[in-house]
Amino acid sequence: MTLWFEDIEPGTSWDLGSHTFTEEEIIKFGKLYDPQYFHIDPEEAKHGPFGGLVASGWHTVSMGHKIMVDYLYAHDDMMRANGEEPGVSGPSPGVNKMQFKAPVRPGDEIRFKITVQSKRKSASLPGWGVLLNIIEAFNQEDELVYRSEIASFSKLRDFKPGLRLRMGMALAAMPIIGKMIRRK
Amino acid sequence: MNSQDRLHYEDLEEGTIIQLGQHTITKDEIISFAKEFDPLPFHLDEEVAKKSLLGGLASSGWQTAGITLRMLVDAFLGNVASKGGLGFENLKWKKPLMKGDTLTGTVTLSSLRLSKSHPEKAVMIFEFDMRNQKNQQVMTMSLANLVAVRHPKKTEGASA
Repeated sequence: MTLWFEDIEPGTSWDLGSHTFTEEEIIKFGKLYDPQYFHIDPEEAKHGPFGGLVASGWHTVSMGHKIMVDYLYAHDDMMRANGEEPGVSGPSPGVNKMQFKAPVRPGDEIRFKITVQSKRKSASLPGWGVLLNIIEAFNQEDELVYRSEIASFSKLRDFKPGLRLRMGMALAAMPIIGKMIRRK
Repeated sequence: MNSQDRLHYEDLEEGTIIQLGQHTITKDEIISFAKEFDPLPFHLDEEVAKKSLLGGLASSGWQTAGITLRMLVDAFLGNVASKGGLGFENLKWKKPLMKGDTLTGTVTLSSLRLSKSHPEKAVMIFEFDMRNQKNQQVMTMSLANLVAVRHPKKTEGASA
C-alpha cells in the first residue's frame, strides 16, 4: 500500500488484516480512555444499552490504525525484497467522517479494509499529494462495524522543487536557522 | 450508579459549555500507546522524533483523541445515561501534542434533538476545542452520542 502517489489508482481496495478483541484489552483501553460502565464493567454492562461489554469505538478505530501501520511496513519490506523503493506516506491532517455502525464484543474478530477513493496534489504542501481513504471494519458475520473517511499525505515521486523552495529546504536543514524557521 | 440517577435528555440543555480538566502527557505514555496502536518510529523513539516532521516526541493523534474523550467522560459523559457513540466528523489534528505538553479544552453541547426513529433516544452533538498550555489549538472535532430519554412520547399506533 505504500505506493508512490503516481502509482495509486483511485477505487483500489486492500485488505489490511484482522484482530480478535479480548475482554481484558477492551477493559484496559476503557479504563484509560473511555471509562463508561459498558466499556469497563462486564456485570453492569449487562443492563446497559448493548446488553453486555463492548469495546470503545475509539479502541476499535485505534486498532484499525495499528493494523494499517503493520500492513504498510510489511508491504514496504516486500517491495524492498523485490528491489523496489517503497513510496512515502505522511501524517494525516484529520478524519472527515467516522460512523460507528455495530458494537465490538469480546471474542469478535474484526477485519479492516482500506479503499483509496480519490487523490489530488496538495496545494499547501509542495511535493505531496492528498489521498481520501475509506477505511472500513467488519466483524466475523460480515456486519459493518465502522466506516470512516480519512485524508492522508502521500509523497510525489516525480516532484522537482523550484529554486525558491530548494533554497528554503536547504535553510530549514541547517541547525540554527532551520530551528527558527520550523518554530515559525 | 443507578441508571435513573444519570442525566437524561430532559436534564440537558443545548448550548451548555463543559470545561474539561487537564492532562500533561509523558514520554512513557506516548511510547506505551504507540507500541500498542501507532508503532511509527517517530512516536517510539525520541531521537528519530527530533529529526522528523514533528520535531520531537509527540503523541499519536489517536492518543490525543483518546485523552480528549477521557476528559469528556470524567467531566460530563460519565454522569449521562449514554446509549453509545454514533461517530464523529471533522476531526482535525491542528498541532502535535508534544512530550510534556498539557492538554485541556472546552466542549459545547451544540445540538440536542430527539431521534425520529427511536423515541427513547436523543442525539447529542459535542463540539471540541482542545488546546495546549500555550493556548494553541491542538485538535477540534464534532462528536455524536446517544442519550436516553426519561419519558419517551408514545409513537403513533404504538400500544401502551
